[in-house]
Amino acid sequence: MKKPFFLWRHLNKLRWLTLILVFGMLVLLPFLHVYQTYIAAHAYDLLTPDEKALYDTMEHLTAPFVSDPETQLDAIKGTTWSGTFGKLQLSDPLAVLGQMAASLSAYWPFLLTALIPVVATLLFGRFFCGWICPATLIYELNSSLSALLHKLGIQTGIRRFDRRLKYLVLALGIVISAITGSVIFAAIYPPAILGREIYYAIALSGFGAGMVFFIITLLFDLLVSRRGFCRYLCPGGALYSLLGHFRLFRIQRIVENCNDCAKCSAVCEFGLDPLHDQFGQECNNCTACIAVCPVDAMTFVVRPSDTPPQGPGHQGKRYRREHVASNEGDMT
Amino acid sequence: MQRRNFIKQLAAVSAAASLSGGAIAASRTQRRFLRPPGALPETDFTAVCIGCGQCGEICPNRCIRYFGMENGLTSLATPYIIPREKGCILCMKCGQVCPSGAIQPIERSVEALTSKVSMGRAVVDRHLCLSWQGKTCGVCYRACPLQDLAIRVQRLEQPIIMDACIGCGLCERSCIQMPQAIRILPDQERTLT
Repeated sequence: MKKPFFLWRHLNKLRWLTLILVFGMLVLLPFLHVYQTYIAAHAYDLLTPDEKALYDTMEHLTAPFVSDPETQLDAIKGTTWSGTFGKLQLSDPLAVLGQMAASLSAYWPFLLTALIPVVATLLFGRFFCGWICPATLIYELNSSLSALLHKLGIQTGIRRFDRRLKYLVLALGIVISAITGSVIFAAIYPPAILGREIYYAIALSGFGAGMVFFIITLLFDLLVSRRGFCRYLCPGGALYSLLGHFRLFRIQRIVENCNDCAKCSAVCEFGLDPLHDQFGQECNNCTACIAVCPVDAMTFVVRPSDTPPQGPGHQGKRYRREHVASNEGDMT
Repeated sequence: MQRRNFIKQLAAVSAAASLSGGAIAASRTQRRFLRPPGALPETDFTAVCIGCGQCGEICPNRCIRYFGMENGLTSLATPYIIPREKGCILCMKCGQVCPSGAIQPIERSVEALTSKVSMGRAVVDRHLCLSWQGKTCGVCYRACPLQDLAIRVQRLEQPIIMDACIGCGLCERSCIQMPQAIRILPDQERTLT
């Protein structure tokens, strides 16, 4: 019996950790920025007690890492939409695509900032959606709330749409960006919205227009269609799905171990069907199906395409009835 | 059946998109605002800026704010400065951090600033200005980072704006008159040479 590498089933925990870490950074960075401005103003004595508390907390947090916070903290800035880590700048490929469409030109330094994310997407597929996107953390918790409602007998969010809709959103977004001359994706792309709205709320005057849009998507997910925005409408998800079509690292079902319990298909946030080997380009390698599998029938493989459908699992009732039972009959 | 559903949903999304396209042509705000130093001309700026917010996050003066929907959808999440509330201290960090090229990096030297930055130009209202109305003030002159290049005062502290003014807004911020006697007229056609 083939055994998957034992760490794969723990990747889902690691994924939650990275999601929380990314989200935590998005909350921490605005506070650090405010702290930096207090230092720059050289006016600790003039701060209100609340501001002093913030100053002292941030000082405690950063003191082990930086000696000159006013300038050294400039090393980490931004959100997942576009961020700076020291000399390295990383941008969302969708931001680059949107800018190219809006300005009808390409700015090379900016194109280069999307190089690492694009290469990573070519290798790991739509991993951004499951592992990094700050909106995913909220959406998955929202999805859990929806599951809780189901347990209480409230059936919400059970509609399904066509997954190809998001490619249309991507194409329309490019066209509208070109017509209006502005990067329209920034207005409808949840991670970009969430990143900047958290900053607005902490460092500026409060949540802005984007938060209204984000809450509408949350309600849509909760009441109409589970994970509906990510599955059917997200232009970023569409772009990464296209880039990740020939991803090298993908999940595969080990048919010999599988007992057809269908937990993998039930747990899949993107509504895919791992039980029937239907991962496709939209799998985000979130590894929830690996973690949930009771018989170690899910593993990672390195190959540029999914395996063709392998039929019922060999530990399942149907397979055993059709194959094993008759074989045993022949033997006797 | 699945195909028919797809076409139905396709029609719904197209309708929503065309509606939002109409909303984009919304009216512009009447508010007078500046773009950060080194920003591209206005139409290029909204096309190139991705709204990542790093310029505001690195600004040590916290003078950079962001548009919501009040200036139309094309300006959504783009940075602006209201000089009366907080002027730009010309640290030029925003141009260094901007990944998209909407704010160009400019060296922090007097030559580079006066030749490349063009946020706007200060205008003095002599009917409001204390120094021009028989008292002496001179606060704007003292606030200016480019004294005697961008602004000079004659006797009795009467301010006169000169061609090197780049519109940082520190004079407008500092003006003790209410309403302010010195204002920045934004340069919507600002060019980078």
